[in-house]
Amino acid sequence: MDILANFAQGLSIVLQPENLMYCFIGVFLGTFIGVLPGIGSLAAIAMILPLSFYLDPTSALVMIAGVYYGAEYGGSIASILMNIPGTPAASITCIDGYPLAKKGRAGVALFSTAMASFGGGIIGMLVMAALAPSLAQLALSFGPPDYFAVILLGLVAASAVSNGSALKGIAMVVLGLMLGTIGIDLTTGDQRFTMGIPELRDGVHIVIVAMGLFGVSELIASIRDNREGSTTQSIDYNDFYPSKAEWKSLLSPILRGGSIGSFFGALPGTGQTIAAAIAYAVEKRISPQKKKFGTGVLPAVAVPEAANNSATQTAFIPTLTLGVPGSPPMALVIGALMIHGITPGPRLLTEAPDMFWGLVASFLIGNIMLLILNIPLIGIWTRLLKIPYKYMYPTIMVLICMGVYSLNNNVFDIWLTLVIGAIGYVMRLYRFEPAPLLIGFVLGPLMEEHLRRSMLLARGDAMVFLERPISATLIAITVGILAFTVYKSISNYRHVRTSKTQPTK
Amino acid sequence: MIHNRKVLLGAGLATLAMTLAPVSLAAPGAWSSEPVRIVVTFPPGGTSDLVARLLAKHLDSDYGQKAVVDNRPGAAGTVAADYVSRQSADGTTLLLANNAPFTISPTRFKTIPYEPIEDFTHVAYIGASAPGLFVQPELGIKTVKEYISYAQSKELAYGSSGVGSISHILGEAVDAKLDTKSIHVPYKGSAPAIQDFRAGVLDMFYDMVVQNKDMIADGEAIAIAIASPERNPQTPDVPTFREQGYDVVIENWVGLTAPAGMDAKMTETINDTVLAIFSSDAVKERLIELGITHSAMTSAEYTQFVADSISTWAPLIKSAGISEK
Repeated sequence: MDILANFAQGLSIVLQPENLMYCFIGVFLGTFIGVLPGIGSLAAIAMILPLSFYLDPTSALVMIAGVYYGAEYGGSIASILMNIPGTPAASITCIDGYPLAKKGRAGVALFSTAMASFGGGIIGMLVMAALAPSLAQLALSFGPPDYFAVILLGLVAASAVSNGSALKGIAMVVLGLMLGTIGIDLTTGDQRFTMGIPELRDGVHIVIVAMGLFGVSELIASIRDNREGSTTQSIDYNDFYPSKAEWKSLLSPILRGGSIGSFFGALPGTGQTIAAAIAYAVEKRISPQKKKFGTGVLPAVAVPEAANNSATQTAFIPTLTLGVPGSPPMALVIGALMIHGITPGPRLLTEAPDMFWGLVASFLIGNIMLLILNIPLIGIWTRLLKIPYKYMYPTIMVLICMGVYSLNNNVFDIWLTLVIGAIGYVMRLYRFEPAPLLIGFVLGPLMEEHLRRSMLLARGDAMVFLERPISATLIAITVGILAFTVYKSISNYRHVRTSKTQPTK
Repeated sequence: MIHNRKVLLGAGLATLAMTLAPVSLAAPGAWSSEPVRIVVTFPPGGTSDLVARLLAKHLDSDYGQKAVVDNRPGAAGTVAADYVSRQSADGTTLLLANNAPFTISPTRFKTIPYEPIEDFTHVAYIGASAPGLFVQPELGIKTVKEYISYAQSKELAYGSSGVGSISHILGEAVDAKLDTKSIHVPYKGSAPAIQDFRAGVLDMFYDMVVQNKDMIADGEAIAIAIASPERNPQTPDVPTFREQGYDVVIENWVGLTAPAGMDAKMTETINDTVLAIFSSDAVKERLIELGITHSAMTSAEYTQFVADSISTWAPLIKSAGISEK
């Protein structure tokens, strides 16, 4: 009842013409950037960040959120039509999306992903409305050791469930942690790894790391691949709506994907990509059509899309109630709020209820706008994919440089972005995923901050982490996940060994 | 550069002074046909930024002097100060900075790329705001004396807005002056520190007093003392350290600075224009809301003030143990 009243209040805030406009700008821009291969929501948020400083904080938050989930809608378009993921999370959508398009069913696939994204978004919104207030209540009594334990759990979960090589994933998390130590040590004020460069005193900005790793290195990669020749599958507008039977087969995958996504979105460290991958893996095991997965079936595109969209909404839960970013783009959201003088944390809900519920309600409005943008207007986006890369990529490069420069009005930052971009490209060649690096980079400094603060306040007694019920519980879960991962990898290793040795017998 | 004209002005007396000595002062007005860039040492949204935008707005509306704000945050203001020191002194680039790049950084950092006095023309002082000591109401302490006896029986933890921030330096200065010992817990800015204070994690924190007047009014924190020479009219119930018998005065001030070698006539014009703007009623009220107490200084007085501040702050920073080795 209370939630309904709050939601209605939020709705009345979003429906103000100004907020509606910023919501639209957000989702439109997000879709636009999401359609373009390589640059995802982080780059998009970074580009509009300077603009958001001049808006009312609620409008700013609504707009940034719109960009964030709009990009996930847009990301699926290039995945289906060209087999190029528009955002990292959309790579899972490629698996069945492109085969569907090749079968001439691109229209149905796009329609289904839009519906799945919408369904996932609504599930995420409901979870957030139901869960955030009680989590905030609980978080009022959170101390530094509890925050440390939450972040530790997130980091361990992220590296344990990452897709691809686990060892490379952990290596990237560690590299991210190391990158995060550059700058002034918060506790002593000493400079660490700044090499005497004054611009590094405040550390490397997350936008620089993200633009370099995802934006610049993707641009280099696409020049090398010369994807210009890749064909875009056309859409048959007569075949746009799924049949009744297909509708039915989509419903429960969307619900499952949305639920899995909202769990991983809310866990700091794991984001949309992991949510989409796990939801796909689960569906592949239990779906009635599981044998056809990978050949182009509708539930297989609906599940990851529902999951990544609900994860984008629930990523706001830890961000706003704990002040711990649920995913790398959320670190920018925290930064944007801080500049407006709002500190995300357990008191945000009671001190700025209009902003919080306005945001929740904007998820509904934004997702409806996206449905309109993605179904009747799909033609616009497919035309965007036909713009020759020789015009598109220089433009994106200029936008990246502008976004980076606008952070501190400093040219040094542009050079740094290019250097990180080059490193990112080399990593890409050797199949090191950039996403875990970014997670380590975002959460590492935060984890260190809370660890050292806990130790200061406990006068150096490390038992403080086990004495507090919240941190003790979280650390127990973390140890459990670690033990399970080690057990699983050992049993896999044995399995591989025995299966390898058997034929030689 | 040093003028021998010495007019001592108290807070709020700028207009009176102008009527007393109208001949020696240049008339306020535009000084450049080009738009002026006001470089700010913080990102948009903070107090410095708001003051700069207020100034830019009134320069244009009152005197037709176009001005834009240019935020160049980083390394406690040294990035912006270094940048401005290397620009032309033609009046088109000004730095709006707090004391950090001039009085804290030179002592704190091993090397900084500029000389705080020689590389600049310190044009106009704008005003100051003062931090104070806040404690948990449950501790039952209300005065500095009670605080001393409590702090000597139990080691308390205080939150600051970061190593080398004014709240940290005040914390160290208070410990030195009161002969108490406490644990410093640094945060990234005062907001997260206050959040932990409210969650009961910290026994106390140091922060700007006026900015926290709602917390004082709601009884969420007890303001023991403010580190200004006199009480702030916005928080009349918060006594100063000085009136309680402890000479602790540490204020965060903001002023306007140009690159070295600016023409004396232009310096004077800018100083007069800026003072005229900040002593007008509407602007003064806005400053008070921001917790800033304005007073007027000539360029020469402001230069002397910066130099004096460097020597008074240096021992504080050294004793806080935050100078780079």
